[in-house]
This record gives sequence, C-alpha cells and structure tokens, in this order.
Amino acid sequence: MSERDLVVHLAGFAGALRTGGVRVSLSDELDAAQALTLVDLLDRDEVRRSLLVSLRIRPGDRARFDDLFDRFWIAGGSPRHPAAAMMQVIQSRHPSAVERQMTTVPASEPNEASTAGESDQANDGAPGYSPDALLRKKPFDECTREELHEMEMLLATLSLKLATRRSRRLIPTRGRGAVDLRRSFRRAIGTGGELRWLARRAHAIERPSLVVLCDTSGSMDSHARFLLTFMLSLRRVARRIELFAFNTALTRLTPFLTGGYRRGGSAAIEGDAQSRVSSVLARLAAEVPDWSGGTRLGECLAEFVERHGSQLVDSTATVVIVSDGLDRGDPDILVRAMRAIQSRAWKVIWLNPLLGDSRYRPLARGMQAALPFIDRFAPAHNLESLERFITHLEVA
Amino acid sequence: MRPEIRALQDALAEQGYIAEPAIATALFLAREMKKPLLIEGDAGVGKTEVGKVLARVLGTELIRLQCYEGLDVNTALYEWNYQRQLVRLRIAEQNGQDPSKLEEMIFGREYLLERPLLRAITRREGPAVLLVDEIDRADEGFEAFLLEVLSDFQVTIPELGTIRAEHVPYVVLTSNRTREIGDAVRRRCLYLDIPHPSLEKEVRIIHTKVPGVSERLADQIARFAQALRVRRLARSPGVAETIDWAQALTRLHQDRLDLGTVRETLGCVVKDRRDVDELTDAELSALIAQAAETTAG
Repeated sequence: MSERDLVVHLAGFAGALRTGGVRVSLSDELDAAQALTLVDLLDRDEVRRSLLVSLRIRPGDRARFDDLFDRFWIAGGSPRHPAAAMMQVIQSRHPSAVERQMTTVPASEPNEASTAGESDQANDGAPGYSPDALLRKKPFDECTREELHEMEMLLATLSLKLATRRSRRLIPTRGRGAVDLRRSFRRAIGTGGELRWLARRAHAIERPSLVVLCDTSGSMDSHARFLLTFMLSLRRVARRIELFAFNTALTRLTPFLTGGYRRGGSAAIEGDAQSRVSSVLARLAAEVPDWSGGTRLGECLAEFVERHGSQLVDSTATVVIVSDGLDRGDPDILVRAMRAIQSRAWKVIWLNPLLGDSRYRPLARGMQAALPFIDRFAPAHNLESLERFITHLEVA
Repeated sequence: MRPEIRALQDALAEQGYIAEPAIATALFLAREMKKPLLIEGDAGVGKTEVGKVLARVLGTELIRLQCYEGLDVNTALYEWNYQRQLVRLRIAEQNGQDPSKLEEMIFGREYLLERPLLRAITRREGPAVLLVDEIDRADEGFEAFLLEVLSDFQVTIPELGTIRAEHVPYVVLTSNRTREIGDAVRRRCLYLDIPHPSLEKEVRIIHTKVPGVSERLADQIARFAQALRVRRLARSPGVAETIDWAQALTRLHQDRLDLGTVRETLGCVVKDRRDVDELTDAELSALIAQAAETTAG
C-alpha cells in the first residue's frame, strides 16, 4: 500500500472512530500517520499498538477501537474498503428517541400532602409578596409548564451565587495572608537589599467540581426534567461538572453539555437559555435508554464507581446523587458502591424530592442502605430547597 | 515486529523491567517522534518505573518532577537565589561597586536555582529523561504552564531572556487518573495505558524483583493478587504491593501461602482497613486454596 493510500485509509479509520463516539482529533491523525511510517506495517499487532499510542485511545474506548480496527485493518496491512465499514458503523447507531422525550413534561397532578404545608408557608410571606417568592416554594410536580420555564430563568441567576472553596494553591494577595518571603526578597532587590515591603500570599479560591448522578426512572419523572435543568445551569459556576443519568443503565451525559451556557453570560445569552436547555434535554433523552423506566440504583452506582470512579471522583469533587432511593436491587451492591464513592469524594450530597413531604421517612430499602454514606441529605422538591443546596456546596 | 522495538524491549528487560510489546512500542514511538509520553494506569502498575528504566537504558540522567496540589512555577522551573543576591548587594555596597555591573552580576546564571524543568532543558551532556510524575495531582493551571514548556522546550526568564533547550529531553508524564488530564496536554503527548499485568507477567516480575523467592510462592502470590483484583476492593493491589509482599514472605522464609501468614502480612497487599475487615478468614482461605490448587496441578 502506498503512503498516500495509507493516509487516506487512516483518515477513513479515524472518521469511523469519530462516528463511533471515540474522540479523535486531527492532530491525533497526523501523529498516527507519522507513527505508521515508523513501524512494521506487516505486523498487524504492531500497527494496532502504535495506533493506540498515537491516536491516544483511552481504556474506555478500547473495545470500540478494537472492533473497528478488526474491520479496517486486515492481516498484511491491505485495507478493506473503508466506506463499507463506515456504513456499518452508521447503521449500528440506535435510532433516537427525541419525540418521546419531548412529551415528558412534568405531570401536573397535585400532590396533596406537600400542597398543604407548602402553600401555607407561601401565603405567610404575603407582605413582601413577589411572584419569585411564591415560585420558590412551589413543588415542581405542581407547576405548569410556564411556571417551570420561569423557574428555569430564576435558576440561571440563582446559580451565580454558588459558593466557593479555598484551594491548597497559594496566590499573591494584597494586605492579607501569610508573608511570602520569596516575593518579599524579590522586591528587596529592587531597593538595593532594603526590605521595605512585605509581600503576602493566601490560598486561592476555587470553584467546586461536581459529579451529578440523576435518577430518571419513572418514580422521578415529574422531577427529572427540572432537576436536570438545574444541573445544567450549575455548569456556569462549577469548575468542572460531570453529569450522569441512570435508571436501569448508566449514561454519561457530560459530552452533551458542551455548547450550552457560557460562563458569566449576558442577558442576551440568558434569553437563549430556554431553547438551549430544551435542545440539550432532547439530546439527553435520545441518549438515555429507558427514560422514565424502572431503577437499578445499586447496579448503576456500582457501574459508575467501576468505570468512572477513579477518574472523576477525587478529594476535590462533590458527588451529588439525585434520586428517591426506590431500589429493588440488592442493597449490598448499593452499600458497596456508596462506600467507594464516599471514600473518594470530598463530599456526598443526596437530593431527594420526597424529602419535601413532611410525612416522608427515608424507609425505602435503598435509601436506608445509602444513608450512612451521605454527608448531606437534602430535599429537592422546589426551588427554595435547591437554593439551599447551592449553599451546601460551600466548604466548611 | 521492527527490530528496533525488539531491541528496546530486550534492553528494558536487561534493566529489570519486563515490558510488553505495547510499552516498548510506545517508548520507541515517543523517542522517534520526539514527543512526550503520557502514561495512565492504576497505582502500582509500574508507570514511574518506565521513566526510571528509560533513563537507565539510554544511559542518561533522570530528572524527576513530582507533582502535588499547589505546585507552582518556582518549584518546577526556576527560582532566583534571593538570599545570595542580598548578600552580594550588601558586600557590593561596602566596596562601592558600580551599580549597573552589579545588576548584571546578581541576575547571572549562578544566582539562578534550576528546578527540574529548567534543568531538563539546560542539560549540556545530552538529552535527559524528564519524568513528570503524577501530573493529575497538580492543578489544571499548572498543566497549562507545563504545556508551554513541552511545546517549545524553551523558557523565558524576564531578567535573563529566553533559554532554549540544548537537547530536547525525553519526557514521560504519569497519571493515576484521579482526574482527567486536559485535552491540550493529551494532544501534545503520545498516550499509553498500562493495565494490571497478566498472571505470567506478574510472576516474572516477582522473580526479577525478588531474587530469593521460591517458584511456588511467586506463583501463589501472583494468583492471589489477581484474584483480589477481580473482587471489587476499595483499593486494588498493584504490582508494587505484590513485590513488597513477596519480599516480606521471603524474609519470613515462607515458600507458600497459609492462612496465618496471609492474615499477618495482609497489610502488604491490602491497604484499606475496610477491605481488610471485609476479607473474612473463610474468604481468605478460599483465595489461598484457589491460588494453591492451580499451582499444584
């Protein structure tokens, strides 16, 4: 195979990888082309190894890579027709389920128990009446579609007040913090060795990094859309956010978050937020299998720990689990997963929409099993509770 | 396989590092393409060792930069020796020296403290191996800075000007994957993922690292460790742990695993209290029996 053929074939292979969801950039391809000139093209395993290294294939993408490699690079290095292989890849993608999600608007069935308590409270606040204040206390499952939209706008402004944490890193400051001898001496050089001015430094402030696991099973249906919106809006204030949805399986949603809000967005962008959220949610629903089906809480969390735990959860990460804790699986699996998460994470917060009901007791088996491993157990049934949640992100 | 890669693999083995073809290929490509190599893998799979052994194979100096949260430019790149500069200034004052010459003097190279990154690019004797260890521990801000150094291999010091690399060093970065390494750094490097070793490889590693170990013990330890990794422990043992364990048991003149010894020395391989608590005697016995059975057969 000539060098030109090789490059064309490589481009086809890279394209198929991209179609298959493996991130391959142009510079990866260039490196791969160079690498192939350096190795023995007749040794198929060597070609495979050098492509793994030069295309920077992560372990998580390895299975897909191997699968495509087998189709594209047959023994002896002569390629099969790339186009045919690509068609196969495209066809194997599942048809989307966008339409189905579009109808998943929260049901407006009134929840009697919480209505009584919550609306009384809301009326108490009558003197300083503002529609915002009422909205804040209204449970999500009672909201109309318009109200939900308004709430989403409110959220966008609210999440700006997100709390911060101090890092271990020291940065120069004015007038406060510990004396920074290095910079003080540095200054003294300028004044001929006279130490006239002491430089100081203090710990930098860092925005938190979040890992959010959101239950999208049937029992959470009326909350899922709104809570996902909330998590999306948190993106603007968190340093890093990883979003997962789970029901019977775990889906990583982070790749779909790109291209949404920009940090510190202006009012113009704010107005755009609504459509952004909708389109992101539509994409999410298309990706998440079994949207609003049952839950396998323990298995999903265990899968999260195994596949992503070591990469995403570290001592700076706050793990937020949004679920009602209704799990029919083996509590042991859940306990194991929760323990692993807690031992790695900086903080574990469990948001439970049912907690908004004063009569609710966390008796569900799954919830019981998970409780010992939670740093903060908080309600998430209305905007006010989410507001409180944001302040919990603050470091003690 | 290309003869050069085979040769590199043999050279690594000679230095006591058992490299699979994947590792040898990655090192070969990194050397030929003059690109840094980013190695990811669980703790204890021998990532750092790759950098060390590469330096030995190439017969050059290993310059190591251990990353940690809060690592900054002054620890990684360079620092002026302020104390020495101040002393110099005081002496000069007493002698009444010319101030303009003085400035040139105190901002000269001999007042510069070279930290690992600067040392790696100013080494005159030939390219060094620069090992940036546990890059995932450093802040993302540091990553951006490192990127600058790795892309141009030159450093600008305001008082001195730009220092270009005498020789481009071989760069090995390692990450335990406690966080995702930024795409920019990833793109600049070649990438290698080192998984836990296979049983055969682990046995060979134990024999290389612990010369006095008996055939049977090495095999049982490796099988035991492999079985432990299948279980979902909070902290799975790495090769480093199995080597420690083999050393400990050899010191204790053991030539096979039994429940008493395993219980007493479990701390060598299982380093999490909850994992230790969870492994009951019955379970340990089962693991030991499993490891021993296959050896006997």
